[in-house]
Amino acid sequence: MKGLLKRWSFWCLLVLAALALFGTRLFDALPEAEVAAPFSKPLWLDRSLPPTMDLELSGGHPAAELDWVFGAPSRFSLRVETALPAPSRFVEWTIPGGKTFRLTPLNRGVELDGRDIAFKRSLGLPPFGDASSALFPERGTYRIGLSGEGEWEGSVKIRLEGGRWGLLGTDQRGRDIAALFVAGIRVSLLVGIFATLLATFLGTSLGLAAGYRGGWTDAVIMRAVDLLLSIPLLPILMALAALWGKGLWQLILILSVFSWMGTARTVRALTLTLRDAQYIEDLRGLGAPAGYILRRHLLPETLPVLLATMTLGVPGAILSEAGLSFLGLSDPRVISWGRMLHEAQSFGAFTAGAWWMLLPPGLGIALLCLVFLDLGKYLEERVDPRLRGGNVL
Amino acid sequence: MSGYWARRTGSALLVLGLVLVLNFVLFRMMPGDPVASIIDPNFSPEAKARLSEVYGLDRPLPVQFLRYVRSTLTFDFGISFLTGRPVVEELKSRLPNTVMLLGTSLVLSSLIGTWLGMKAALKRGSLLEKCVLWSGALSFSFPSFFVQLVLLMAFAAALPLFPLRGTLSVPPPAGGLPLLLDYLWHMALPVFSLVLLGFGGWALYVRNLMVKILGEDFILLARARGLPERNIILGHAFRTLLPPLLTIFLLSLPGIVSGAVITETVFSLHGVGRFLLEAVTGHDYPAAGASFFLLALLTVSCNLLSDLLYGLTDPRVRMERGGGR
Amino acid sequence: MRKSLFALFLSAVLLALCSAPRAEASFDPEAFAGPKIQDLYLVIIRDPDAQLLALDRGKVDILGDLHRPVDVDALSKNPAVDLSLASGFHGFFLGFNVRTFPWNSLELRRSAWQALPRERMVRDLFAGYAEPLATFLPPVSPYFEPDVTAYPHDPEAARKRLAGAGWTWGSDGVLVSPDGRKIPPQKLLCPTASTAPTTAEIAVRMAEALTAIGIPVQAEPMDFSTMISRLDERDFQMYVLAWQMTRDPDSLYAFYSSKMDIRGGYNMPGISDPALDEVLDRLRFAPDETAARAAASEAQKLLSDLVPVVPVYSRYTISAVSKQWKGTLVTDRVTADNTWSLLAMEPASGPMRPLYLVQADEPRALNPFTSSSAYDWQVLGLIYDSLIAVDPYTLETIPWLAESWTIGTEAGPAGPRTVLTFRLREGVEWHDGKPLTAADAAFTYETLKKNAVPRYFDNVDNIDTVETPDDRTLKVTMKNVSFWHLHRVGGISILPRHVIEKVNDWRSWLPASEKHPSDPGLTGIVGTGPFVFREYRPGEYVRLSGNERFWLGRKR
Repeated sequence: MKGLLKRWSFWCLLVLAALALFGTRLFDALPEAEVAAPFSKPLWLDRSLPPTMDLELSGGHPAAELDWVFGAPSRFSLRVETALPAPSRFVEWTIPGGKTFRLTPLNRGVELDGRDIAFKRSLGLPPFGDASSALFPERGTYRIGLSGEGEWEGSVKIRLEGGRWGLLGTDQRGRDIAALFVAGIRVSLLVGIFATLLATFLGTSLGLAAGYRGGWTDAVIMRAVDLLLSIPLLPILMALAALWGKGLWQLILILSVFSWMGTARTVRALTLTLRDAQYIEDLRGLGAPAGYILRRHLLPETLPVLLATMTLGVPGAILSEAGLSFLGLSDPRVISWGRMLHEAQSFGAFTAGAWWMLLPPGLGIALLCLVFLDLGKYLEERVDPRLRGGNVL
Repeated sequence: MSGYWARRTGSALLVLGLVLVLNFVLFRMMPGDPVASIIDPNFSPEAKARLSEVYGLDRPLPVQFLRYVRSTLTFDFGISFLTGRPVVEELKSRLPNTVMLLGTSLVLSSLIGTWLGMKAALKRGSLLEKCVLWSGALSFSFPSFFVQLVLLMAFAAALPLFPLRGTLSVPPPAGGLPLLLDYLWHMALPVFSLVLLGFGGWALYVRNLMVKILGEDFILLARARGLPERNIILGHAFRTLLPPLLTIFLLSLPGIVSGAVITETVFSLHGVGRFLLEAVTGHDYPAAGASFFLLALLTVSCNLLSDLLYGLTDPRVRMERGGGR
Repeated sequence: MRKSLFALFLSAVLLALCSAPRAEASFDPEAFAGPKIQDLYLVIIRDPDAQLLALDRGKVDILGDLHRPVDVDALSKNPAVDLSLASGFHGFFLGFNVRTFPWNSLELRRSAWQALPRERMVRDLFAGYAEPLATFLPPVSPYFEPDVTAYPHDPEAARKRLAGAGWTWGSDGVLVSPDGRKIPPQKLLCPTASTAPTTAEIAVRMAEALTAIGIPVQAEPMDFSTMISRLDERDFQMYVLAWQMTRDPDSLYAFYSSKMDIRGGYNMPGISDPALDEVLDRLRFAPDETAARAAASEAQKLLSDLVPVVPVYSRYTISAVSKQWKGTLVTDRVTADNTWSLLAMEPASGPMRPLYLVQADEPRALNPFTSSSAYDWQVLGLIYDSLIAVDPYTLETIPWLAESWTIGTEAGPAGPRTVLTFRLREGVEWHDGKPLTAADAAFTYETLKKNAVPRYFDNVDNIDTVETPDDRTLKVTMKNVSFWHLHRVGGISILPRHVIEKVNDWRSWLPASEKHPSDPGLTGIVGTGPFVFREYRPGEYVRLSGNERFWLGRKR
């Protein structure tokens, strides 16, 4: 046990497990919520981008001036809230140099955004790109105000979004990548551990049955093993995922159905050797039922090997799930690291140069696999001393 | 001994038969058929019915199954729903690329991995050995698509050193040598990524195996007899290494097909792996069924071959396995 | 000061004149001639990132359809590329099962329309690159009727409307009908997010918007073909579906006539209104354009009152062309890679060189009988011609292979029927040099009809007889009267008789891999169009060459 505490992978796993359980509390919003503009950069990346700002104009405060020292914001949105519309008065935007744009009359329920093509056309802009780059062409003093004179009950709310957010920025739907990353830990751990547990359970029971009973049971089970081993893994996973795979637990089930074969073979081999051991013979002679023998004697013998194989099997499950998600075959409502990479690739992380979308999930998968590999190695060493020595992991 | 061969072969054929049935059932169970997905106001109900007729989807299931078995066994595979061309044609145009990709990377990673693994086993405790052990773990842990995406982003998008997609430039250069070079340039990054991901596992496996072999009695005996080290390594040790190595080589063949699916998707290569993905997601029964069957055939053959090889080279195994696996 | 102001004014006027689409000026197809380009490569690049990079690096010159907003934004900042926007006939709708409670209530459907925040959804999901749709035919349709009932987004007004019609809200916020029935939870069928991510997201948002006014809706994603089966079996409450309509409004008949409420028919909502049926019948069998326009206009007005489905948005098609080429024809109804562009494009400077166009996916069979995918027709459409073509500005019918035609009505055994008489152009040659005659067209129609080729089933189904009084005249007698027969028949690609009559099985015919019997540079794909098919390299490209003998604009 002491050896366990000395290994880096153990502590790493603890940290990851803690994040998986409590990590979502670090964030205000749910991982799926849109928190900022898509493809926002991490806060620490680009200082020339402006922070997110909110402005408000009202009857009492009809104008505001901005000393703009940044690049153009990534988004511009405006809302008019009033019960008494004043269609003859407008919201006017003046850029350095004096040119003025008329944004909108003060009607009820006006919602404008720099992405609306109708808005861009009304400003005489081409329909492509965000209007905010035309509204903020350079550094200087900008003025926003209400035209005309007089009282007016209502407010104009303007929001300028900077294009920076959080530790790891946002993805193509404006979701916080750091939050998604933390949510992904849970999925990877769940899939890895449960798929392997299930596969081990299946493999052990079938292996014990085949080894102990022999005869037809053995033949049938081994045929099944051969059959399943002949079916290439990823293609069958693809087909089944397309059929049923909408949902995490279906995926775990499918993964375990195709991973129990190795364990079964190992357990069966072990059972075969142990079955003919003297003390087992004696127990049988005394009339002990098969179930008792299996449970009390054979199973405990297999446990050390099982533990090691199980730990080494977890990375396999995690990688299979990641592969399937990357190909787009997983449930999109389930946030997993593979899914994050799939969305990054399909929705234009390359084009947007958003490397912060690509690196964290991939590195996360690798880290988790390395952790389990190391733990598995440790357990294997405990079982089989021959493998010790010269092992640095 | 012939009994063993017969049993293994018979078992393989049984498995293939089961795969055939599974194939058919699986894809028929997949929801929806290609005709149902046609939503076009210019396609009247009569036109849709006619299309169903043309595809043969209106026949009863047993008839469809018999047609399927007959066409599979004659390697006919029917006509792809998605492209309207015979599946064999589709596979023919894609097979060379996939074989080239997988073949080259498998050969390269096994060669490099074996060499590194042997060296590492000989120099226990050295830096080389540490690197080999780490590279084995890393190549297993890093998801292949991630490494490939990063390589693509770095060496094709950020630095325009390699092409971003495909197997040939457009238009491809005329003539033998420039064409070959163009093809190799396009394949360079995919093959490199696969070798990078693959050599670690080989190196680790060979190192472990070599360590075991070097600890065996017959090596000690050879050393005691004063044989030159080089002879011992290349002669005895390597010869003992070869059979399991070949076995693993054969067994890894079907596995890397999965790698083909991902690699071909990332690098947009015209190959069998991506064809399989599209067939499965597009409910293209003939294409998906054909690809599955061929893959199963490959897997079964490789398993059979490796079993036979193992049985041939290791007499102890044959005796033990008298009762059948 | 005044001089510069005047200069400014003048240049503004000139600019306005130059940049406005010349909708009023007539488009003259005869002003075009055979393609200037000699080699045309359709480069198969499926990955959008790779497409963009190829355009950026000058490896391709035209990118016809940009899907992702991030790509459009990236290209809008690229000074070497021109972007253009075209509205299309795509329409995305929210459908109801009008046969049962609660969607049999007209006021509920109208309120649902008012509750949907179209602009916001378009903005969030398409970054603004789609058109919020509030009509049953898209605004670019030549039969578009602007004077219809409108239901602008206003959840408050929706609630008021419901209250006015006698609906009340329960303590849990769910609506209760005037006769006391509470609305049960509604399922909104939509495709899964893996097949159609934006559609699935729109469905979720619509469900939220409707729940907010008291209709408890939840999106239910499912496999697309399963969804269609459910719709076919009428086992649904609500659904979302996108349609690709055409410039002819008679698809309204397919969608909203009660006769189409059958298995395989597209009247999924099950709307059945006698007045609407009567108007749609008139539309479908309209004898001439005046009647067609009147019927289309009435149909749209009725539909906006009846609200069988709620239109949501229509996709824009955005295309990008490298500035190194000039001569592109761009309108607000066609993308940059249309036939006219390809005829007129040439390098902005320097000698002629090959043009590279992006094709987003493999063409499939390249068989004009069976090919139904847009990727096949991106290629085949440049190779084959039909009797009529479409004006890129007004979408009206213009002469193509047929230089003129007449539409008459004659009495037939089963009632009056339309007779189309086409006069074909002189001097049109197939790519292998043989002359085009009326016999080719007749053979094409007869072959399609005889074999009941699914893709053309509805086009030729109504043809009764085809006659060729002489080499240049084609007389097609239909079975009934309809103004749309001209488009249906005239739009079929004409295939060469001397090639088609040798084809044994049209289903498995692969003309792209066949060698032409006499010309080594040709394959089995022989047409009369502006480009000649030369080579298809699967996974890489399709190569076409300019047709030097193209009939358009040839001086004799």
